[in-house]
Amino acid sequence: MNSLAKASTLSSENISVWFGQRQVLSDVNLVFPANKVTALIGPSGCGKSTFIRTLNRMHELIPGAGLAGSVYLDGKDIYAEDFDAVSVRIKIGMVFQKPNPFPTMTIRDNILSGLRLSGRKIENGDEVVETSLRRASIWNEVKDRLNDQAISLSGGQQQRLCIARSLAMNPQVLLMDEPCSALDPGSTRRIEETIQELSSSMTIVIVTHNMQQAQRVSDQTAFFLADDNTPGGVVEFGATEQIFNGPIDQRTNDYVNGHFG
Amino acid sequence: MEEELMSFAPRPAVQPWARVNTGRRIQILLASIVPILLTAAVILVTGLDRNVALMGVFLPLQLIAASAVGFRAFGRRGVGDAALIVFVVFFATFVLVLLASVVFSLVSQGAQAMSWGFFTQNNRYVSNTTSLEYGGVGHAIIGTLLVVGLTTVVTVPLGIAMAIYLTQSQSKTKGIIRTLTQAISGLPSVVAGLFILSIAITLDWQKSGFLGSMALLPLMLPTIARVAEEALRLVPVDLRYAALALGAPNYRAFFQVILPAAKSGLVTAILLGVARIIGETAPLILTVPINNGTSWNLFSGEIMTLPAYVYNYLGSAFVPSQNRAWGGALVLMILVAILFGATRILSRSKSLKSKPTKEKASK
Repeated sequence: MNSLAKASTLSSENISVWFGQRQVLSDVNLVFPANKVTALIGPSGCGKSTFIRTLNRMHELIPGAGLAGSVYLDGKDIYAEDFDAVSVRIKIGMVFQKPNPFPTMTIRDNILSGLRLSGRKIENGDEVVETSLRRASIWNEVKDRLNDQAISLSGGQQQRLCIARSLAMNPQVLLMDEPCSALDPGSTRRIEETIQELSSSMTIVIVTHNMQQAQRVSDQTAFFLADDNTPGGVVEFGATEQIFNGPIDQRTNDYVNGHFG
Repeated sequence: MEEELMSFAPRPAVQPWARVNTGRRIQILLASIVPILLTAAVILVTGLDRNVALMGVFLPLQLIAASAVGFRAFGRRGVGDAALIVFVVFFATFVLVLLASVVFSLVSQGAQAMSWGFFTQNNRYVSNTTSLEYGGVGHAIIGTLLVVGLTTVVTVPLGIAMAIYLTQSQSKTKGIIRTLTQAISGLPSVVAGLFILSIAITLDWQKSGFLGSMALLPLMLPTIARVAEEALRLVPVDLRYAALALGAPNYRAFFQVILPAAKSGLVTAILLGVARIIGETAPLILTVPINNGTSWNLFSGEIMTLPAYVYNYLGSAFVPSQNRAWGGALVLMILVAILFGATRILSRSKSLKSKPTKEKASK
């Protein structure tokens, strides 16, 4: 068994984001404590996905992107000059909205791809593959076909494979951008169980449009909103219980009860 | 997976949508035959030129007939479908006939030169009247493979590097470079040859196979760069993001994820590049001295290539020489077919091992 990296605390300080001249996020201050699951909710276009991409420096890959503010990983600013994007992404893994396994690789190679891509030596590859697939609750389904192409899996299996691929890197933080939006209820339930189990060893941030999902999996919730033609921002942030059962802001109350968005 | 599929009782495939009632079958048959008969009649009666009749009488008649059948069956939308089918089938047949006639004349004229010796021997001791049993294109095959091979070895990395630059960088000079590349692809090949020849004369270099390779380079480069660019552009950006999110530096993401995903497209780019230059004649005539003996030396002395061989014998007044020219052209076509076939098989064999199966419903 690999020694698991310790979960880390991640926090954002006054994060503002631009695409070209247009500001899309304004002053987001959030804290993601170690081993907690944080859900980011809000209507489409309010900047949740954009925000989560600033947390592991994927945001800067988009042409015309701009950013102000800081993101701290255990107190260190990941945008500091002596911190490079590659080492940030090794520590902070990401699962995308659409399953994106590498189509030219087998299931096994997909799991090991992170290690290969980051230039690490692979010792006990079989063990890494099994551990990662078990942690993503997909081991039993694929253990007999590890050398099949990854795209032969169903959509739900592909997404869990992508989670396993991130887990093989032993990240301290896992970012999930609507990981279940393209999946059926069964696959969604399995991924939610996986999230619960993973939170014992890492910090998780998940963007979701599914209110029930946010309530089921998260410890704390941030509600994002962008009013017409203004940059998005956090309206309310607190324990999930409080956001859903006793929100302070009227807009939060309207949103979680399905009155808009 | 396969076992699961086997457990279903085998049933013959049925295609209920393909059923056509007898009445309509007859209409379609009539619509296909009547225009042909009418056109034949017009030609016989008026003595109209056959090619004019094909375009001016047959095509309109066929369109009217097919439209009428389509209209009877489906109303106005049937007319559009019928017209499209007529146009597609007519012009596809037209092009196929043209293509087949080229291949046919090449095969029929070149066939008499074909023998094992023709592929393996060189043309030393062959005169204009020497019988076809003696001599061959062996030296020209070697020369073509060497010259084109050297061009390919130099151009493929350059062309793919250009494609990488055009797809992966966010530089502002991309537009200019792309436009210039397109402009070069319209360059007359004789100009490429003259360009290299003028350099050789200026620098006092001797003509050689190497100069021929360099003259072919500007012809091959734009083809490879453009097709490879399209191949790389087709790789979803998701894959690049997935690799980078795992902590990959750009170069590893490119070599381990993007390049393998674009592999078949890149092979196509190389094949089209080779196809573009392998038959090029003018640059080689200007820059490569020819001979009748076998030479393996690209960098000095004379070396024969297939296009130069064909050009050399084509204008001859002697029948055996003309036959040699046809034979050389046929050998060039066979060579291209072999090269392409082999490359396709080699580049495919790896991914055939485990084909993507249909998405399985999750239980």
